[in-house]
Amino acid sequence: MTTTSIGQTLPPQNPGAVAVDPSAIKVSRGQAISAMVMPIALLLIVGFFAVASSGNYLSAQNLSQLAIELSITAVLALGMLLVILPGHIDLSAGSGVGLIGGIAAVLITSHGWPAWAAMAAGTAAGLLIWWGMGMIIIKERVPAFIITLSGLLIFRGLHLLVIKNSTVPIVPGGQSNIYSLLTTYRLSPMVGLILTAVIGVILITVAIAQRRSSGTPGHGETMLMRAIVISQCVLLLVLICNGNGGLPLPVVILGTVTVATWFLTRHTPFGRYLYAIGGNEEAAIVSGLPVHAITVGAFAIMGLLTALTGFLQTAYTGSSTTTIGNLMELDAVAACVIGGTSLRGGRGTVGGVLLGSLIIAALLNGMGLLGVSPEKKLIARGTVLALAVWADVRLRKQ
Amino acid sequence: MVQASDAPARGARPVLEALNLVKRFPGVVALKGVSFDLAPGEVHALCGENGAGKSTLIKTLSGVHPAGSYEGQILVDGQVVNFASTKDAQRAGIAVIYQELALVPEMTVAENIFLGSEPRRLGGLAIDWERVYSQSQVLLEQFKLSIDPTAKVQYLGIGHRQLVEIAKALSKKTKVLILDEPTAALTEQEVAVLLGIIRDLRSRGISLIYISHKLDEVFAIADRITVLRDGQSIVTLDAKKTNQNEVIKHMVGREITDLFPRRQGTLGDDRLVVKGLTVKDADGQEILSDISFHVRSGEVLGIGGLMGAGRTELLMHLFGALGKRVAGEVILDGKPLRAGTKPSESVRRGLVLVSEDRKRYGLVLDQSIGFNLSLSSLGPVSRGHRVMGMIDARHETRRNRELFDSLRVKAPTMETRVGTLSGGNQQKIVLGKALMTGPKVVFLDEPTRGIDVGAKLEVYELINRLTAEGMAVVLVSSEMPELMGMSDRILILAEGRVGGEFEKSEATQEKLLAAAMGRAKVRAGEAAEH
Repeated sequence: MTTTSIGQTLPPQNPGAVAVDPSAIKVSRGQAISAMVMPIALLLIVGFFAVASSGNYLSAQNLSQLAIELSITAVLALGMLLVILPGHIDLSAGSGVGLIGGIAAVLITSHGWPAWAAMAAGTAAGLLIWWGMGMIIIKERVPAFIITLSGLLIFRGLHLLVIKNSTVPIVPGGQSNIYSLLTTYRLSPMVGLILTAVIGVILITVAIAQRRSSGTPGHGETMLMRAIVISQCVLLLVLICNGNGGLPLPVVILGTVTVATWFLTRHTPFGRYLYAIGGNEEAAIVSGLPVHAITVGAFAIMGLLTALTGFLQTAYTGSSTTTIGNLMELDAVAACVIGGTSLRGGRGTVGGVLLGSLIIAALLNGMGLLGVSPEKKLIARGTVLALAVWADVRLRKQ
Repeated sequence: MVQASDAPARGARPVLEALNLVKRFPGVVALKGVSFDLAPGEVHALCGENGAGKSTLIKTLSGVHPAGSYEGQILVDGQVVNFASTKDAQRAGIAVIYQELALVPEMTVAENIFLGSEPRRLGGLAIDWERVYSQSQVLLEQFKLSIDPTAKVQYLGIGHRQLVEIAKALSKKTKVLILDEPTAALTEQEVAVLLGIIRDLRSRGISLIYISHKLDEVFAIADRITVLRDGQSIVTLDAKKTNQNEVIKHMVGREITDLFPRRQGTLGDDRLVVKGLTVKDADGQEILSDISFHVRSGEVLGIGGLMGAGRTELLMHLFGALGKRVAGEVILDGKPLRAGTKPSESVRRGLVLVSEDRKRYGLVLDQSIGFNLSLSSLGPVSRGHRVMGMIDARHETRRNRELFDSLRVKAPTMETRVGTLSGGNQQKIVLGKALMTGPKVVFLDEPTRGIDVGAKLEVYELINRLTAEGMAVVLVSSEMPELMGMSDRILILAEGRVGGEFEKSEATQEKLLAAAMGRAKVRAGEAAEH
């Protein structure tokens, strides 16, 4: 009501006079270049491993394996994105993955709980613990770095206590339950194809609807192109996986988490507020945003996704071991940063994080395939992270 | 270009001269042919709206834009110079004091003055701290700056920090000092001190380029005035032979008849009532004492006072962002606003704040215009839930577009990053964001600070629209003419208390100033007796 009456009384704007800060143009050019660096890096990594493994890397079997590993890395990284956007960080995620996967395994194996109940309990624990950490960070004003660093140590200790320093299987006696099926279940090829068709139809319908309603010329076309490209990627993935028994369930889970996170960051006030808090927390407060509730909410979602990753990673290994989740928090942070997320908050996208996760997963998988020793794996991971951040900083400066 | 004045003042060879400077950025020509000369011992003011090219000109003259990146010539003492960096310019005796000061708060005054050029001893191995402090002392005394060289900069007020910057520049044998909006954050007293120092520097033969939106100051200090508009030097005027209206006319390219177009609204009920408000800060210090006032629908209540009188603190506290209420009552639109209200609740209740520090409290600079405009009012355009629901993008864009157009924001599109806009346009975005919430009471803290004349007028027009629509406006301003021109009633704060309240008809500059200084004088008297 206010806006329209102002609009009526003031003369229309003069579109001719435009004041632009020239540095803005330079920045966007730098961003355009840096947007190309990571896809090229990915191609180089894939090309290298394809040659070095004499083609094994690109076999249907390895690629569907890679898809599962990508799903595990990316689910945690997407949670990390939600925490980094408002300017925080979660160093406890890796230990959390181990702890919650372990709790569920112990409840099943030692206490005879049904798998669904054990996983529900693990999920509840994740939600509660991360909500609690969020509350401490906000209310007591202790930096997230410190609180989650404590979490890293505490959860690792708890995990070892819970599994009594041993290996706890997630299924008693070689059968299967929904816990183990998390990573072993594959959609039948026909279901995979039908799912692909449904996704394609939805994407293209939405894009066409957008094109009709969008005011800006070219926007609708871009949307349509993007919808077609995404549909083709999904189709390619399904076809590859169908060559090796069908689409793995983790990929479907990742798809769901991706869509949910994308929707949250792009289409809800919650997502906008995450960017606003990370971009300028004081301005967010004065703008009347519920800054505390939003930040705690982001941590709670991180707890949920940590629990989910805990189940996936533990199921992938088959049992809860003492090393599960080791360094996974750093892979998640690295995936975010490689994907263009700013550690100071306020900048980062779901697409970028997926790309970052893919680079990490492709690298780890390739090194595993070539039988690279764990020592060298660590060095390679560190180098890639440093290179990615350096390239990002360098390109943004230009 | 019109050359209205004669040869450079005092007839001497210019110490600094720009000939037909053209500076291009990708997509934009920032300078389209600027010529300008600075005589020895002259104060030469540069005037122009934001985006007129003043900043680019300074950056070109001081080596930020290196030789080769612009066309035209820069001459120092008649010789063409090609600065590769700001260091070259400093060696040639050109120093710039920017709006955002470049001091290290944790260091002392003397450490800052000699930062990077500390006198050495033991063959250059160690800093000669004695000389750092003694030379600083001499320098500060020489220019009559009453600052303790051993004081840490973080404990100095903004006015003193500026003087430290000037002392730092003078320590480097500067002959041309460029001041970019030096008084934007100063009180009237501090401005007077600064102008005195500038006159002193001039009498010592230093040439100054003075950039300010405040024409009163320009006319108080400048010998000549060059007006820039749209990247061109429009005219150079002799300050004694011209007047403010002529300068403004050149700046905006049109006549401005009334600088303060306040139109009285129809007064309605009380929108905000404050009774006996006393507030303590986080350290337990009483920052506001026994403050009472009220604002009615359709009314502009101006709040004046010296720097540190508690004006900003009052607004921030009422909004819920500062301090703890220990006594008093606040009634917003007929219902009590209880102590400890959060900003999010204030906004929901119809109370919005436009802060004096728009970059810190107003904007997410990295984000687009559209993002910032709708940030405070996403709830109403979301389906399902206020926070977790889905934003109706079309509705949001349409609403943003209406405001973007009506505020006449000068930007290519609504996707433009807010950080790249000029001060005036940024201020419009902050105002737009506040108005989009449909407020009942609007707090404006220095809404025209650092923005150009044209944008100021638009802000004033906006204030008129708000009151015409029945909103109550509380306007804090350090500029007396603005306070008197735009307020229907004026409340003066002095040291956290009400120093006086005046109807528009009875307010004079003298009365307001006396009220603002009233308690300060009493205190000084008390102190003298002890």
